[in-house]
Amino acid sequence: MARWALVSGLQGELEVYEAIQRDLRQVGRVDTLFVLGNLIGPDRDANALLDRLQSPRRGELQPQCIYGWWEDQLLAERAFRGDRRADALRLSQGEAAVDALLQAVDPGHLQWLAALQFGFIELDCALLHGSSADVGDSLNTGSSPLLLLDRLTRMDVNRLFTARSGEQFSVDLTGGGIDSHVRDLEGERQLQQVVPQRKVIGIGSGLHYTLYDPGSDRIEFRTLDQQPGSRGRGFA
Amino acid sequence: MTHAVMSCLHANLAALEAVLADIDQLGITTITCLGDLVGYGPQPNEVVELVRERAIPSCQGCWDEDIIEGLNSCECSYPSQLAERRGHLAHQWTADQLSEANKVFLASLPMTLRRDRLLFVHGSPNSQHEYLLPDMDAFAALERVETAGADTLFCGHTHRPYVRDLRDGSIRVRIQSSTDHTSPAERQMPLPVRRIINAGSVGEPRHGNTNATYVIHDEETGSVEIREVPYDLERTCQAIVEAGLPPVFAWRLSQGFEYAERADDASHVCER
Repeated sequence: MARWALVSGLQGELEVYEAIQRDLRQVGRVDTLFVLGNLIGPDRDANALLDRLQSPRRGELQPQCIYGWWEDQLLAERAFRGDRRADALRLSQGEAAVDALLQAVDPGHLQWLAALQFGFIELDCALLHGSSADVGDSLNTGSSPLLLLDRLTRMDVNRLFTARSGEQFSVDLTGGGIDSHVRDLEGERQLQQVVPQRKVIGIGSGLHYTLYDPGSDRIEFRTLDQQPGSRGRGFA
Repeated sequence: MTHAVMSCLHANLAALEAVLADIDQLGITTITCLGDLVGYGPQPNEVVELVRERAIPSCQGCWDEDIIEGLNSCECSYPSQLAERRGHLAHQWTADQLSEANKVFLASLPMTLRRDRLLFVHGSPNSQHEYLLPDMDAFAALERVETAGADTLFCGHTHRPYVRDLRDGSIRVRIQSSTDHTSPAERQMPLPVRRIINAGSVGEPRHGNTNATYVIHDEETGSVEIREVPYDLERTCQAIVEAGLPPVFAWRLSQGFEYAERADDASHVCER
């Protein structure tokens, strides 16, 4: 079965995207490229990358994109999110960062960005930027297992791929359970529940991306060197 | 300290008066209300004014929010299209009836109230619209209480009172990080003991009985009593019909359950 490539955090860096496309041609057996948000950022002009994502070159995998935290902030500030503005960005990084983000994206790209979805459900997997709770939800190896299980349960999936933390990791829920006792006007009952075998995967950011084989459930974390044309390193 | 918690008054003055009389007769002076003061019922101003007069601390329910913010809830507020159509009728009628002063009061209500490790919400700590049903996924239920930093969570919204104790829980995990090339780390996390207490509904009971429900909680012993209070049902049903509200509102009050409606996805979170 062909694999998926899961990418995030390009933040306008066309060179990084091209490096990943080159690496994908080398590793082979990848038929779908998912870009899980943060296509843009405040640090560089993102227009060339956005053009490329919408119009791939011959031989490149067509990217399937969703919006991430930076797109959400941009769209909020550009009044695509009702009354909400880029308050989270303004609070965390100041007005200059909001201005830089507005400058990084040509208004001609806004409609395309606004049409991006929150996430994808593929087979029994959720592909999200943050989590099922929020685009800004940052999951990592330090997250409470109870919280990870909740994020999986909300979408009723067995695998949740997340990008927000920028880290590459895998947390497998391997066992456990809980008892509960319910009393209502009809009487009392005991309920037992076991932890389902589920997994949360952090896909990384930028030059750190992830390959996933849904047939074998095998994950490979890839890390590319900065130099154009250099080979990637991976471990599963 | 023994205190009373009530929810979902839904503009039913006769039911509220009966519940308050029951609480008074028990000598309980601390009362908390979990919202939905209005909606469906025929006396929104009278109910809001009685809560204000008694200075009962209240959080904001989904109906209280929507009357102020406008009808912008997602479909999780209405488990069926039939319910949605009827809900919109009741919303418009209530918005027309409520005085400006009472709207300002509803707008001022907080999403949550907290007393030490007791947390009071309408639906869940996440949203006034989320249903915490008694048999929902236990881990998700525990997450709602734990993430909110509470030992005991008081909620309403389902109109069915219950007490749920969550205990003897644990989760085992295997963690692999790309920055750590050693063998995956195994970890076991014991889960805390937590409790959810649903106060049911004063003005719109849906537990299969027409009595108003609320709960009494003893903070020292942890005991919980689910109280059922009969009230002058005929008075409210007649007022519903005379007000021109959909007669089905009176019919379902007289049955004590919801007709053709039940939230079946407790894990669904409003995405507004």
